[in-house]
Amino acid sequence: MINDETLELHKFMQARRTLFCYSGPLSEELLTSISNPVRQQLSESESDEGVAKRVFGVFVEQAQNIIRYATLRADTGEGVGTIAISVTDNDGFLIEAVNAIDSTKRTALEATLLELSMKDAKELRKMYKDRLRSGPPEGSEGAGLGFIEMARRVQRFEFEIADTENGPVFVYRGYVS
Amino acid sequence: MEQAATQRTPHIQISDAACRIVGECYPENIQEFSAPVMSSLRSLVPNSGEYRVEMELFYFNSSSAKFLFDFFEFFEEKAASGLAVKINWNYREDDDTMLEAGEDFAEDMESCEFELVGVEVPSEGEAE
Repeated sequence: MINDETLELHKFMQARRTLFCYSGPLSEELLTSISNPVRQQLSESESDEGVAKRVFGVFVEQAQNIIRYATLRADTGEGVGTIAISVTDNDGFLIEAVNAIDSTKRTALEATLLELSMKDAKELRKMYKDRLRSGPPEGSEGAGLGFIEMARRVQRFEFEIADTENGPVFVYRGYVS
Repeated sequence: MEQAATQRTPHIQISDAACRIVGECYPENIQEFSAPVMSSLRSLVPNSGEYRVEMELFYFNSSSAKFLFDFFEFFEEKAASGLAVKINWNYREDDDTMLEAGEDFAEDMESCEFELVGVEVPSEGEAE
C-alpha cells in the first residue's frame, strides 16, 4: 500500500499542472542549477518566447526574494520558501511563492504591494525608472525593484500575508499569459 | 578585458575603442559581477576620440538594472566631457521587454548617441 500522502501529492501536482515546484532552503547556487530545467519546461509548454521569458523573469525575482528576505533560514543560512510554476486553465501560467517574513515588515510590504496592484503598465514603468534613478530603499539588498519588475511582467497578481503559529507568511501569486 | 558568458552572465569585451555585452544578465552576486566591469571601463575607456558600445541582452533581472544604469551613466559622463560615444541597444524585434528597457535607458542619454536596433528573430530551425 502506497503512502496516501505521497499519492495525494502526486495527484495534486498533476491536477494543478505544475511544471516545477521547490520547497526548502534556496540559494543563488541552487537557482543557477534549476534555471535551465525551468526554462526548458517553459519553452516546451509555451511557444511564445515572450511569455516564457516573462514567467522566467517573475520566477527569478521571487526566488531572489526568498533567498534574500525569507526570515525562516536553514541551518546553513539559506532562506526557506516554496516556489512553483503551474499552467492555468486558460493555458497561461501561475507563478507562486511563499515565505516567512518579519512581522515588523508586514505593514510596509502590504502597502507596497497594494500600491503596485493599483498601478497600470505606464505607471509601473515610470515607478521602475524613478526607483532606478533614486537607488534602493533602506533594508534592500537588491535594487528595490523586484516587486515592481514582477508587477510589470504579470497580467495581475494576488498577495496575502497569512498568520501562522510561527509568525506571518507571505503568499504571492502572479499570472502570466 | 574579455569575460566569457556563463549561464547567468553575458559575454563581455572591453577595449580602448569599444565595449560589447551580449547574453543573459542575472548574476549570482551583482557586486562581484559589476565591480571588475566598471573598473575595466575606468581604466580602458579614453577621454577623447570615439567609442562604440554594443549591447545585446536577452534577459536581465532587477538587480542588474542598477548595474546597467551605472554603466550608461559612466558613458554619459565620458561623453559630456568630450568622448564621442555611440551606443547600440540591440533587441530582438519580438521582444517588447528589451525594447522598453532600451527606450527607458535612452531617455536619460543627453551626450551619448543611443540607438535602438531591432534584430530580426531567427526563423524556426535557425535558432541556437
